Amino acid sequence: MAPRSTFARAFGVSAGAVAAALIVLFVSSRASSSPSALEAPQHLPAPPASALRMPRPVALRRFAVVAYWASVRSAVSGRAWPSSRAEIVAPLATTTPEGTTNIVLVLGRARDRAGRLWIHVRLPVMPNDRTAWVPRSALGVYGAVHTHLIIDLERLTATLLRNGSPIFRAPVGVGRPEWPTPKGNFYIRDELARYRSAFYGPLAFGTSARSSVLTDWPGGGFIGLHGTDEPQLVPGHISHGCVRFRNRDILELGRLMQVGTPVTIR
Amino acid sequence: MSAKEHETEAMSELTLGKLDRDGAIREAVAHVSGDTRARFLGKAVVGGAALLGALTAPSVAAATAASDVAILNYALTLEYLQAAFYTEAERLGAIGGNLKQIPRQLGAVERAHVAAIKAALGRAAVRRPAFDFHGVTEDQTKFLKTAVAFEDLGAAAYKAQAARIKSAAILAAAISIHSVEARHAAWMRFLAGVTPAASAFDQGKPISEVKAIVASTHFVVANPKIASRTNPKYKG
Repeated sequence: MAPRSTFARAFGVSAGAVAAALIVLFVSSRASSSPSALEAPQHLPAPPASALRMPRPVALRRFAVVAYWASVRSAVSGRAWPSSRAEIVAPLATTTPEGTTNIVLVLGRARDRAGRLWIHVRLPVMPNDRTAWVPRSALGVYGAVHTHLIIDLERLTATLLRNGSPIFRAPVGVGRPEWPTPKGNFYIRDELARYRSAFYGPLAFGTSARSSVLTDWPGGGFIGLHGTDEPQLVPGHISHGCVRFRNRDILELGRLMQVGTPVTIR
Repeated sequence: MSAKEHETEAMSELTLGKLDRDGAIREAVAHVSGDTRARFLGKAVVGGAALLGALTAPSVAAATAASDVAILNYALTLEYLQAAFYTEAERLGAIGGNLKQIPRQLGAVERAHVAAIKAALGRAAVRRPAFDFHGVTEDQTKFLKTAVAFEDLGAAAYKAQAARIKSAAILAAAISIHSVEARHAAWMRFLAGVTPAASAFDQGKPISEVKAIVASTHFVVANPKIASRTNPKYKG
């Protein structure tokens, strides 16, 4: 057994107990002159409030009906299947006859054997209703719409659906029997306004549909949806194939329908 | 937002140099980088006062320097890029496997960043550019690589601007976003098999570097011209 010191012997305690007491004494004396590590933050100011009102994560709204369109970035040949060796269906230009960006309706995608991405698109060509495959590299910006326009040639009506539900209906004038409005599946290619032509009313939409009769029409005979300076003729079989609306109706349609909207003429 | 605007949500809607026809990125970058060219200076001076008034919280507006507003717009531009990227991937639905939930989860967060910064900037917010992701949002491998790059870039961009922010409230906001971007970066790196945190200290990226990286992607493009005043050539 280790010998006990005179101090320990005198007070009946061990050297270890003495050391522990000295440490406690030292720490408590330090604490009285400066804050401990845990107490220090209490002397800091409160953190500043954020300048932003922070919303929860924003989930995408779900739509039952979504159609996608893509701009044509470079002139390209639409092909019968997703391969550069496939038969050419039709060429695709980058602009429309009105000088707007040419767009196509996106129907699907696939990869060729080399892994290159191809997009299945609806074409604005004759004959109507044609589709083809183009390399993704020839396309540019994608857009999405939730509307679908139905033109009923028997009832002479136009109905705009949003998510499958009608949100707009109006009487229309369509092609005369000798210049019929073509039936099929198309899409809206551009929107024209503030032009100098009372004949077309205040607003016009270009579609991918083309007349199968008046093929030598300037601009390629594309079917438009537009207003009129003869509202008394609507509804009726009155046009060269275009779909004419009363001006207030085409303006209302313009408020609701975006370029890229699929169009069914039946 | 009008009913029509509400209907169409451009999925890929950005450009630097000749691609930035709307000038949104150049404007944001010029404000932050202190571009002294007259047109940028003019915008900064005129825009600065309007920007202060446009902030939603008066206490924030009163304490906000024009340079802070410019930094917010710079951040907004990068958030636009990230949000558009994930949103397009979610909409197209071509990303699957172990990445299937990434576009939805990260897209929701990046859209919240856009919403918060836009709300704070009000009318002073820069316009959303157009984006063409060149098929990256439809390719599993390219999507993940780009996600890693975007999240690393976002974290580095916020970090580089933090020391320049004058308002404590805006710094608090920026830091709150920065850490989320850093979490995203670590997450995407993990998924890509890259070390999430390879160094003990991160470096920020200056605007010039961020700008060069974004430009190299060619993701920022001019908006397609889908409306015109041209006389119709339709059949009538």
